[in-house]
Amino acid sequence: MSAVTARPSPLRGDFIKLAAVALAGLAALVLFPNDLGLMTRIASSAFLVVSLDLVTGYAGIATLGQAALFGLGAYAAANANLAGLGEPILMVAVGGLAGAVAGLIFGAVVLRSRGLAQLVLTIALVQLVHEAANKLSDITGGSDGLSGIDVAPILGAFRFDLYGRTGFVFALVLLLATLAVLSVIVRSPFGLKLRAIGRDPGRVRTLGAAVMPALLVTFTLSGAVAGMGGAIEAISTGVVGLDSVSFERSAMALVMLVLGGSGSLYGAVAGTAVFMGLESIISAANPFHWLIIVGVLLIVVVLFVPRGLTSLAGDVRRLLAIFGLRRDKR
Amino acid sequence: MLQKLMRIGAAAATLVLIAGASAGADTIKVGIIGPLSGPFALGGKNFKAGVEAYVAVHGDTVAGNKVEFVYRDLDGPDPGKAKSVAQDLIIKEKVQYLGGVYLTPSAFAIAPMLEEANVPLVIFNAATSSITQKSPLIVRTSFTLWQTAVPLAKQVAKDGVKKLIITVTDYGPGNDAEAAFRKTFEAAGGKVVETIKMPLSAADFSPFLQRVKDSDAEAVFAFLPSGASTVGFAKAYVESGLKEKGIKLLATGDVTEESGLQAVGDAAIGIRTTYHYSLVHDSALNRDFVAAATKAIGNADELSFPAVAAYDGVHVIYKMIEATAGKQDAKTAVQSVSGLAWESPRGPVKIDPVTRSLTQTIYLREVAKENGRLVNKEIASYPDQPDWGLVK
Repeated sequence: MSAVTARPSPLRGDFIKLAAVALAGLAALVLFPNDLGLMTRIASSAFLVVSLDLVTGYAGIATLGQAALFGLGAYAAANANLAGLGEPILMVAVGGLAGAVAGLIFGAVVLRSRGLAQLVLTIALVQLVHEAANKLSDITGGSDGLSGIDVAPILGAFRFDLYGRTGFVFALVLLLATLAVLSVIVRSPFGLKLRAIGRDPGRVRTLGAAVMPALLVTFTLSGAVAGMGGAIEAISTGVVGLDSVSFERSAMALVMLVLGGSGSLYGAVAGTAVFMGLESIISAANPFHWLIIVGVLLIVVVLFVPRGLTSLAGDVRRLLAIFGLRRDKR
Repeated sequence: MLQKLMRIGAAAATLVLIAGASAGADTIKVGIIGPLSGPFALGGKNFKAGVEAYVAVHGDTVAGNKVEFVYRDLDGPDPGKAKSVAQDLIIKEKVQYLGGVYLTPSAFAIAPMLEEANVPLVIFNAATSSITQKSPLIVRTSFTLWQTAVPLAKQVAKDGVKKLIITVTDYGPGNDAEAAFRKTFEAAGGKVVETIKMPLSAADFSPFLQRVKDSDAEAVFAFLPSGASTVGFAKAYVESGLKEKGIKLLATGDVTEESGLQAVGDAAIGIRTTYHYSLVHDSALNRDFVAAATKAIGNADELSFPAVAAYDGVHVIYKMIEATAGKQDAKTAVQSVSGLAWESPRGPVKIDPVTRSLTQTIYLREVAKENGRLVNKEIASYPDQPDWGLVK
């Protein structure tokens, strides 16, 4: 595929995709002013799915425990708020920091094994965090959720409103900034090494490159991204529940990643938006049987578009080339 | 650019508000949020049955306004989703009232937006005491665990039980039940020899009940969330031989909740519980309610306590619509029902003006078999029980 789509500068392609996300976000703001609550949830969940993509899509380590990092970021930001930190930007920083630390520890534990054992380890970790959060109800609110989060206006100027405009713009801007930074990272020599590790870690090791430190850095980075997402959700929802550190949340993130296409930052974002958007539309239309419809749709996508929705873009390009509508640069 | 967009957004919002105000004249929309799919779906089904039963009995017109119910699914304890579902109902569907809410975290997530939205929320289930304190626009027509556990503890102490063991599920409501029971029982001179906290995911209860057996307690107080776990627990209680040993099982009504009771089987006969509602409560009003709700739900075995809370919840919403003549005025609406007393299918109830939860009769019931079906037969009643979690 790379031969077909060779471009003068790979970063230019990234810029176009970033601009597309920005445009889609702004279009949502104008076209769906009544759905910004959902849009904000999509943006904060996109952080979780993107963070999962770094570990699974790029570094090749399957995990079903990513929500642990997301939720820890959310709890950290919420606790910082309850302790008197009102500024949302600082809350996101706290969430990102907590996520990074958690990601480092998570990585250090998970990377001790490989394959299926590793997958089981990630499940065990998220369950442990979930149970700990249930037990430590003084700082997590237990199963009732941690409520009473009172967020100050952003930079003292933009108040969070009922329609969720401020919350959405806040989440969107942070998402775009994060995607910009990450797309530079995944194009860097470090990012290329990460892809190589994802394909064949043994080979990278024989080439003389250190695998373990690179993976630990990835887990830390991934934790930071997930933690920021958790903090944004805590800010926009005002409550942090046990679901934010649950296995279910982790598994759903993996479903969204597969739907969008793993190993691509924008695939992660697209998967989140498509899945949660469809879920919302279908569940509003038929609140009683929507799960069945969503399940069938997922099966159809996995059977017919196994590499994820973003792979469709390449297919369309190829089709256009076949019909001579687009000059092929081969 | 951004400012321009903000202005467009603000204009759109204003339009929405104007549209909302003018739509209020003839059709009043009520948003019902509940678990319509997933593990708690039975609760949502009962919400719907309760709402439909009330409409079937009382019609869908109040003070010249037609009332329309809009349902939204909230399948699990997900505050983020709860908030956006409520936003969706308020902003897009322009509902004037919200009802439902099965789980506590969802209620916490919705509470902060109510005042800005000018929408009252009537809780049909979520049972943590502090919920009504999160917003002055929340009214609750269900119960709290303090409310059901306190009279039981008093009764047990009065019956002469001195040493007791507590087994509760290790999560919010379980901790509430434990605190309420322990405080009341110890104040009455009883002694709690041990507290066992069982994980929410536990399916095998025999190890916990073995510990009950090994202790020198005379009775065991239990709380588990209604559903599969209560069936498993009640069965394990019988199989462990505790019943033969004479160690009584005392619980809140969640454990013998009607939609799970038939699955426990005859082993459940004799288990005593306290609760705010039994399907076989002896009144004409209740028989009418059960008939209408059974028709709405379709399967008599699925009917359970959330339906009566939904039924009463719609009653409260109708009263609020009457008091405000169909206009959207959440504060006046809630004030108009503070202190409201009426006869519910469960018995006499009243909205406590301070807690905005119900003050109601709590019944002591014993599982018995009537006409081949297991029922919670009321054997004693404790009138005018407030939410003991807030009223000290």
